[in-house]
Amino acid sequence: MTVVTKMKGFAAAAGLAATLLTGGASYALAEEVTLTMAVPDWPPTRIMKKFFDEQYKPPSGNKVKLDVDFIPWPDFYTRVNASLTSGEQKYNFIVSDSQWLGAFVEGGYYRKINDLLDADPDFKKTLMSVHPAPLAAYSTYPYKSENYYGFPQFPDVLVTFGRKDILCNEEEQKNFQAKYGKKLPCTGEEIDAMTWDDFKNVGEFFRRKKGEMLAGAPAEDDFYGIAFQAGKGYDFSSMQINGFIWQMGGNIWDETQAPAGQAEGVVNSPQAVAALEKYLSLLEYMPPVAKTGTMDIFKSDELFREGKVAMNIDWIGLGEASLDPKSSKVSDKLVFGQMPGTMVDGKNVKWSNIGGQPFVLTTWTTPEQTKEAVDFVKWWLSDDIQHQFAASGGQSAVKSVYEDPKYVTYRPWNRAWAPQLDWQKDVWHVPQFFELLTQQQDQFDLAITGKQDAKTTLDNIAKFQQDLLKNAGLIQ
Amino acid sequence: MRLSPDNWKLAILAGLAVSAAAVIALPASASFWIIGAVAAMIAAAFVVNAYRRKYYGGLLVAPAIAVLFVMNIFPLLWSLGLSFYAYQSNQQSIRFVGLANYIKVLTNDIMAPANWGALVNTAMFVVLTVTAQMVVGFLLAMLFAKQFPLRKYLLILVLTPMMLSVVASGVFFTYYYDPTFGILSYVVNAITGGQFILMSTKVGAVTGIVFADAWMWSPFVMLLVLAGLVSVPKYLYEAAAIDRVSKWRQFWTITFPYIRGLLMLALLFRTIEAFKLADLVILLTKGGNDTMTISYHLIRIANEQNKTSEGAALSYLMLFMVIVLTNLYLYIANRRSQGA
Repeated sequence: MTVVTKMKGFAAAAGLAATLLTGGASYALAEEVTLTMAVPDWPPTRIMKKFFDEQYKPPSGNKVKLDVDFIPWPDFYTRVNASLTSGEQKYNFIVSDSQWLGAFVEGGYYRKINDLLDADPDFKKTLMSVHPAPLAAYSTYPYKSENYYGFPQFPDVLVTFGRKDILCNEEEQKNFQAKYGKKLPCTGEEIDAMTWDDFKNVGEFFRRKKGEMLAGAPAEDDFYGIAFQAGKGYDFSSMQINGFIWQMGGNIWDETQAPAGQAEGVVNSPQAVAALEKYLSLLEYMPPVAKTGTMDIFKSDELFREGKVAMNIDWIGLGEASLDPKSSKVSDKLVFGQMPGTMVDGKNVKWSNIGGQPFVLTTWTTPEQTKEAVDFVKWWLSDDIQHQFAASGGQSAVKSVYEDPKYVTYRPWNRAWAPQLDWQKDVWHVPQFFELLTQQQDQFDLAITGKQDAKTTLDNIAKFQQDLLKNAGLIQ
Repeated sequence: MRLSPDNWKLAILAGLAVSAAAVIALPASASFWIIGAVAAMIAAAFVVNAYRRKYYGGLLVAPAIAVLFVMNIFPLLWSLGLSFYAYQSNQQSIRFVGLANYIKVLTNDIMAPANWGALVNTAMFVVLTVTAQMVVGFLLAMLFAKQFPLRKYLLILVLTPMMLSVVASGVFFTYYYDPTFGILSYVVNAITGGQFILMSTKVGAVTGIVFADAWMWSPFVMLLVLAGLVSVPKYLYEAAAIDRVSKWRQFWTITFPYIRGLLMLALLFRTIEAFKLADLVILLTKGGNDTMTISYHLIRIANEQNKTSEGAALSYLMLFMVIVLTNLYLYIANRRSQGA
């Protein structure tokens, strides 16, 4: 063996050893971390998972896997509730309605993140870049306190879906002007400026029987002017009625005032009664299913997509289907604007109940998982990903994103998004949420189906809430 | 008392003592497993005892009894126990309250009116749905007992609703009754020229639910009655015809005694099921128009509101009523059959 050969052999051996060593070292450092997540099965969560799989590179260098359980919406609460209360400790992240915060925080399931925010200024900066209204709704318990829990997954607000072909029709415009002395709202800006009285006029004006003229042609079926949620299930009337109450100067039981804040005298105040009366007065201009107590957000959306109504108020989250010609007969005839408001001292007041969902961390998530989870949330709320999310049909509550001029070009309703954020409030976050909601929904349903008047309805709700919350120590 | 693995009496005594000590001295999460281990020890003592006594019949059914105990009896007893505690599944605390939950669900100002309302509605649905199913099922059975063209195919068609999932049927009827998309309103509107909305009143909503339930479950009654009808010997009818007995009398003296037992069985099954009516109500009305049933009400209390103990108390009150009613019914049925 020559010296050269010996040298070659030595170099090869050294190279092999170095490769093994460095390779071995990198394997020893990169750990595999799995974050398990419970989410409702719909596009915003599917997009999140897709982005994660395609783009997420953990800054830690670890191999992070996002294991997502896509649960159908109707089963979502039941499955999450069962998972949490059974103690299986399966999920690290859970998409949660903001109203569930109190029940699951008090149960010891949702993790408070203040320590994580304090320990990581970048993380705090990221979360604080979210608009204050959605931040308070999605993250705080008690509501509007300094205790933070959640991060926006899909923020949402109510907007007005309109039929441009009907609303902008010249004949209809002329007749509306003649009847009401006002222009029939047709553009997004005109819809933004609408009050509930204008909305009522649209409802009254567009009640057409089958065969009557509608936008220059005989109506193929009975046609109606307006629709919004008026269903007994889940929160499918409270979310709309709360907006009326706040706009007209009333209030729901305000947990931020607990324990001094009362339910009786507030929930059934004259302003609240007038607001509920206003809400009920619009039902007669809606498709007849509104009289049955089953006009939920999905039914009004279906009626709109099937071309049965001129205007519908619904969550942005349901909007994608109306743009898709496969699921919508009106996909090419749409205009979007803000939810109607109430004129107070010359100003169009637009208070509304916020929709959408945050996602939260659970208390059994290990420190290692928590570290990766924080990095993931920072990535999720980063401008680039939020822009991509919005461009794919999501919404962003991150200020720098929704204020970007590009934002309004992503979807036709985005023009109504940012101006409405300041007007968003949330319903109760207290653990008694479901009891409050089910009783209120039952009572609203009695009013919607014509079994009792607004005053009796709100008196019953106020009494129930007063008793329940007093027993719970939330009212003195 | 000798110490031996087959001494089940000693096992029970020791088990009770250990369980009591565990409950007193240890936290619930630990005592639960200790009591489970004690139950397994007692069961093992029974098995060894049976084996030594060569009681193989008992040993053969032991696995089935064990499964029944684990899957059915234990949860039943557990929930009975929970009904005496103040416990919510989303809270960590638990405390003994005796009969307070039972008193609360029956008399509390906040809870009781809704509970009683749901109970009355449930009774109404039991009477209406079971009556509708029995009448329609019986008439269908009388029809299909005869031979006619396409009978076999029509029979399959009539049985189809029973095989569908309740959700599919519920969604179907949601659209069937829908005043904008539904065929029912379309036809009635075409005839009357007005606007027909079936589900806007209590009478309409109850009718809608009862019709949908009868549509699904009348075929079940029909099947049972049909089994009775085809078992009637033909010579009895021939003899009756020779004696010029009227059709009405033939029915009551020949046919009815053959189908009575099966009719009673159908009545029992359907009554028990009707007490549990929730799915169609959830799908069609969400309990609106005063159609809330006790089962749906229970789902809301125990599941949505996590009031586990109160839900358990209400469940046991309902179970008690069903047991009393079915026993009363069986007692009457037995007396009748003995009298006959």
